[in-house]
Amino acid sequence: MSASTATLSSVTLTLLEGFGTTAQLFVLTLVFALPLGLLLSFGSMSRFMPLRAAVKTVVWVIRGTPLMLQILVIFFGPRLLWGFDLLSRFVAALIAFVINYACYFSEIFRGGIQSVPRGQYEAGQVLGMTRSQIFFRVTLMQVIKRVIPPMGNEFINLVKDTALARTIAVYEVLWMGESYIKSAGLIWPMFYTAVFYLVFNGILVLLFGWLEKKLDYFR
Amino acid sequence: MPILEVNHISKNFGPTRVLTDISFSLERGKALAIIGSSGSGKTTLLRCLNFLETPNDGQIIVNGKTLFDAADHAAKSDAEIRKRRLHFGMVFQSFNLFPQYTALENVMLASLLLAKERPDYKQNRREIHEEIEHQAIDLLSRMSLEGRMSHYPHQLSGGQQQRVAIARALALHPDILCFDEPTSALDPELTGEVLRVIRSLAEQRTTMIIVTHEMAFARDVADHILFMDGGVIVEQGTPEALFENTQNERTRAFLHRFSQNS
Amino acid sequence: MKTKKFLALLLAGLVGVSMLTGCGQTAGNNNETAESDLAYVQDKGTLVIGITDFAPMDYRDENGEWIGFDADMARAFAENIGVQAEFIEINWDNKIMELNSQAIDAVWNGMTLTDEVTSSMSCSAPYCINAQVVVVPADVAGQYQDAASLSALNFAVESGSAGEDAAQALGLNYTAVQSQAYALMEVASGASDACVIDLLMAGAMIGEGTSYPDLTYTVNLNEASGSESEYYGVGFRQGSDLTDAFNEFYAAAYADGTVEALARTYGVQESIVAPAE
Repeated sequence: MSASTATLSSVTLTLLEGFGTTAQLFVLTLVFALPLGLLLSFGSMSRFMPLRAAVKTVVWVIRGTPLMLQILVIFFGPRLLWGFDLLSRFVAALIAFVINYACYFSEIFRGGIQSVPRGQYEAGQVLGMTRSQIFFRVTLMQVIKRVIPPMGNEFINLVKDTALARTIAVYEVLWMGESYIKSAGLIWPMFYTAVFYLVFNGILVLLFGWLEKKLDYFR
Repeated sequence: MPILEVNHISKNFGPTRVLTDISFSLERGKALAIIGSSGSGKTTLLRCLNFLETPNDGQIIVNGKTLFDAADHAAKSDAEIRKRRLHFGMVFQSFNLFPQYTALENVMLASLLLAKERPDYKQNRREIHEEIEHQAIDLLSRMSLEGRMSHYPHQLSGGQQQRVAIARALALHPDILCFDEPTSALDPELTGEVLRVIRSLAEQRTTMIIVTHEMAFARDVADHILFMDGGVIVEQGTPEALFENTQNERTRAFLHRFSQNS
Repeated sequence: MKTKKFLALLLAGLVGVSMLTGCGQTAGNNNETAESDLAYVQDKGTLVIGITDFAPMDYRDENGEWIGFDADMARAFAENIGVQAEFIEINWDNKIMELNSQAIDAVWNGMTLTDEVTSSMSCSAPYCINAQVVVVPADVAGQYQDAASLSALNFAVESGSAGEDAAQALGLNYTAVQSQAYALMEVASGASDACVIDLLMAGAMIGEGTSYPDLTYTVNLNEASGSESEYYGVGFRQGSDLTDAFNEFYAAAYADGTVEALARTYGVQESIVAPAE
């Protein structure tokens, strides 16, 4: 790959390929981390002390250590310790992202759930609703409304954090942009990746704005 | 046979005793008002009746059936408590309407969820839904909220919200309707509309327990008054007996303080 | 349970990191290599080769295929042992961990045989001779033709590379950057006055008709400092029998002229090294 072949269109195609990986990592992380985060938030509010302590410890460790370190541990750890090599690079990165983001999400969910007034649960109880009915019919919507602004921040962070997957050679968009420095001494393709991040995050900002508006009908 | 018998209820919060040996009974179609200063335990008593708190001692009997007995150690399942709770309706001081639902949806929600447990729900889903909606519309109309059915709680005044809450409680046809200081969170000019609704319910012979600071209203509407202080029932009787002929020092002091304040 | 598992993982990571940072004596997971690494590779049918984009040793052709002196030789070696060569571009910082964790089977990317490398991998006999050279903008190259003139310059070197060792030995002012490619970028952008990179890479990447036409290389630091020559070797897992297999293969390929023919294709014929007798 020499400098002369790096045209705008060829670079765009290469970056798009990397961006496909970035987008996959982003979407799959959300698919798994959102429900897992909700489960963790229940764990962190559990009345069963050992469970609560275990969840809080996990959340503390995960939030208290760099994501890059976690990616390295999950990819290399099982291989070095047990010769267990089922995790592909992408899957290892995905697992690290899911665990990391689930922990952040769990704290956001916990905040959201705890900010719903007690009276809402009690009103549901005296109306004969079950615990799950109260959660799904009464509190969930209020929680969603409350967590949307902080979630928007986390989503945008996630888009940018996917770049850390390059630590274990997952070829996401920034890696692809960087490859032109290695092969052709070109730096503009790496700057060009910013356009991809900006467009993607721009879409997220619009989406969250729309959601906030959509849930504006109640207070 | 009284519809409600409360026998020797006691309740502790940690080391603090908030209710001591509470006993009273209530006849069907009668209204009971509980008065007393803040911290006297009247709200806790109401919450015990609705299973929002579990008494440490005593029994609650409705229609001759024991709903709660502290001596019966077998832990009650959620489902069991849920069923027993439905004998009571509860109207909260702060309304606690569900903000994401319209007034009509607030009234219908619990009935719809309960209907799903009916064996014939699947075949008659449409009819059941219509029936519940009719009932909810009817209840809201009785609360003079015809024009407010599709409003969300934040679009309603406090008085309107509390009337929706009353309709919501009535929708489940409780044996006994409980009010926990229903007008305390309202601006003074809005208390009237809520009190009027409660008064009309009393006139229709709804069995009610009302915890209130509105002395004139209690005296007017209630058939029976309970005066609580320091977690015990100091005195109970007819409004006349309490408000006019009390021999009890504490009752007299409380009523005196109240008439000066208002 | 979760906590325990996580702590185990964290431990694994720390072990891995400590290996990476050079206490390389601790061999990783050797239960397979104890038997035969060659058999393990033949059993799975692919030789996974960890590389970076490093012309003229490993780089992509117009179709995105990996070519280069190293890539072609790796293919030939894989064929020789009856397996497919698979190239994976890795993060160079993690090369030893990649190898020990069996994420790759060989590091084959113009790797200079430094003490760090030879103590943490099983390395082949040298196959290329290399030197560290100084790269400066062509228009000022005249002023920097000897070692004495270099002390006024700010250098960029690849962190942990032979170039960094050389810069350190000569007492040059330098900033350690992520890779040789970034070191070149530093000079091209003017962020650093000069950089130290591999002679073979300099031959392929700078000067007229290349990615950096305005740069040129001047001083050969190995000659200037009178230090011994540097060699490229292939890295395998510690204790691996692939090393011997490669050495045999290389000796045969050198003898029949294959190596030289390949070297001419990529313009590195001056640098190849004869196998030890």
